[in-house]
Amino acid sequence: MAAIITGVGVVSSLGADPVSFAKGLRGGRSGCALHDFEYLGGRKVSAPAYLAMPADAKGLIDPKKLRRMDRLSRMCAVSARQALAMAGIDASTLNPARTGVVFGTAFGAMATTQAFVDSWLKQGERHASPLNFMNSVHGIMASLIALDLGITGVNLTLSQRDLSFEGALVTALEILESGEADTLIVGAGDELTPLLHDFGARVHYVNLDAANARGLDPFAPTDPTVPGDGAAVIVLERADSKRKPLAKFEAAAMGRLGKTDLAAKLLSSDLRSIISLATTNRGGSKRAAAHFARRENALDGLLGRELVKLTHRGNFGDSPSAGALQCVANVLMLSGGEVFAPLAAGEIRRDLVAGVAAPTAILHDAASVSGTHAAYVLTQA
Amino acid sequence: MGSTPVAITGLGLVSAVGASVTALRAALDRGQSGLRRLTLFESELASEFPVGQYDGDLVADFASVRRKLGAREIKRLSRSDLLALCATAQAVNQSGLADAALSPAGVYLGHSVCGTNRSEAYYIDCFRRAQDGREQTRAGIANLMVHEAAQSVDAIAREYGLCGPSTSLMTACSSGANAIGRAAWLIRQGRADVMIAGGTDSLSRITLNGFNALQLVASDGPRPFDAERKGMTVGEGAGVLVLESLDHARKRGAKILALLSGYGHSCDAHHLTAPHPQGAGAFAAMKSALIDAALQPGDIGYVSAHGTSTPDNDKTEALAVSRLFGEGAVPVSSTMRFFGHALAASGAIKAVVCVDAIQRRTLPQNLGLRTPLTESRLDLVREPRAAANLRHVISNSFGFGGNNAVLVFSRESGPAA
Repeated sequence: MAAIITGVGVVSSLGADPVSFAKGLRGGRSGCALHDFEYLGGRKVSAPAYLAMPADAKGLIDPKKLRRMDRLSRMCAVSARQALAMAGIDASTLNPARTGVVFGTAFGAMATTQAFVDSWLKQGERHASPLNFMNSVHGIMASLIALDLGITGVNLTLSQRDLSFEGALVTALEILESGEADTLIVGAGDELTPLLHDFGARVHYVNLDAANARGLDPFAPTDPTVPGDGAAVIVLERADSKRKPLAKFEAAAMGRLGKTDLAAKLLSSDLRSIISLATTNRGGSKRAAAHFARRENALDGLLGRELVKLTHRGNFGDSPSAGALQCVANVLMLSGGEVFAPLAAGEIRRDLVAGVAAPTAILHDAASVSGTHAAYVLTQA
Repeated sequence: MGSTPVAITGLGLVSAVGASVTALRAALDRGQSGLRRLTLFESELASEFPVGQYDGDLVADFASVRRKLGAREIKRLSRSDLLALCATAQAVNQSGLADAALSPAGVYLGHSVCGTNRSEAYYIDCFRRAQDGREQTRAGIANLMVHEAAQSVDAIAREYGLCGPSTSLMTACSSGANAIGRAAWLIRQGRADVMIAGGTDSLSRITLNGFNALQLVASDGPRPFDAERKGMTVGEGAGVLVLESLDHARKRGAKILALLSGYGHSCDAHHLTAPHPQGAGAFAAMKSALIDAALQPGDIGYVSAHGTSTPDNDKTEALAVSRLFGEGAVPVSSTMRFFGHALAASGAIKAVVCVDAIQRRTLPQNLGLRTPLTESRLDLVREPRAAANLRHVISNSFGFGGNNAVLVFSRESGPAA
């Protein structure tokens, strides 16, 4: 199972590159701000959200290729290029058939899909936009990354609600293990569009209260949550890669086993003993808080000790692809030998990490209300 | 996968030709296309293009075989979910797997449009309200809740109490084949003994309008590999296989319908919609599937082509097939005129077709062919053809983004008749 991470890339509300992202986490900064959303029918609302900063593709992606990309694809492609740059990989030197892309997304290219539907609703079904149609498929981000880098190996996109990244990660680790590829670009991306915000508001899932502009509190959530978006990518390589690793995956799994059964299956006694920190996908929804609390208590029972459990969604927001951002945060903590104190409604919760040493192994436990769960263990390289 | 093939013990299918393998066989043998006029929703294009629409009552079909999902829950499902559930019910029933054996299993499904047939209806209502200055309402918002691909996967997992690895793969028209290939990988690695795998997609305005916008839809339906082919027909359906480790299947005395013996994939990295002009990605995926199955090109007795009937696809696929197998060296057919292009379900439906071909030692015909294309000489199957020595077949699935997936199916054992 062991595979190493040699580079990370991220475009988020906290920063549009790994250095800014790390700085934001280290400094306890919130990516939340008031943003304007124009709903269908022209209603405008100003609501708190963690919208990703513009992805700066300068020097990374050929402007001609960039023109074909919508906002979400840009976030993903720029993250991929950043991750390769951090890994010290010149894409042209990779064996294209032994390099692949494994991506996750819950909603895919929502803005482009909406633009496509609008094109035929406004102009008639015979006048739909072909460009928007071809860019609306869920796999578009993975395809555009492959096109940008000229890589011809495995190209997969997985969609499993808010565990889409974790699904992509587990699959990528399997692919490396089977020897089908040497290097994989693994990530996830989702965008928050006015349409999604509108729908979220209608089902009382997103917070419209401007007073929450400091961000969500995953540890004492108010209902509803503060949504966000972004993309993050890791370069995953076989453990025998010569490149310098940032961190190492020891184990990962996904399934529909209850509470901690998945973690129990995943964690050998050796792994259980070295885990010093856990992260979860706790978000800002009060409805899910009790579920997470029960799960976290069960995790302590499994490990036989009370483990510090963090989530940095208070920094970078709640989105279906936030698992990818958390993974990058975990890699940065391990590689930098530091712990990022999480943010809760704009307040740095240093109390949660008081006395916690630099982690050597992090367990990430992610649960979904759909009944699917995922977990992985990352260690210092 | 050569040393550890995976057993196929159940098949399920819903398509334009019906909702059973029996209906499939009848259509294939009679050369009876399932293409018809679109009635599922109103469209300006309905009178212009046929579609591969399933005409049965999916809610009733599924309600008659449901196990755990309640009637209220069924009402909330999308058409894609129902297609998948109906096909799964057939496959699970055929496998004869008991609940206890199913519980640790997982489900991998390929999707492309997911619950779009309902979410787009809701969006269109919102759009019209906005245009007319009417107030937006929450009525019908449940239609949006079924948009996500994971909905089908989760519904199947709930219906059968599955606890294993479950996810949706979305690689456009190769999704179903990739889902089957990845699910088989889990079994051969010992991560699961049983997996439910396949693909599902329903007709929707998005796909019909989209493929029409790309000028890929033919008014006279698909004529795969014909010199005068004009394009594809959009379809819908679901294909589902029950996959098991050979040990697991043999220990419980299951009837093994065929083996999944190889899986290959590649990415063209050439263009978002157009295939590589020489079929480089298709060639690479077929070759890697053969390597995975530890087979030589000469071992393959039939190629179930992607064969969408678009000028580019058929030409480049023919070039790739000829390059790998030799011109006219292997029988080839595309079944697109039977079902239409069921997108993410296509590879899974073709998987059912391939297993059926192996079981019956009969190759399905390339319906709609008049004059074969000239770019490459293929041995196109013009009518159902007996293939007594058929042991191994491959099935090609290619999708947007140059995403290629190829599966190899084999007869379990014993000498060919």
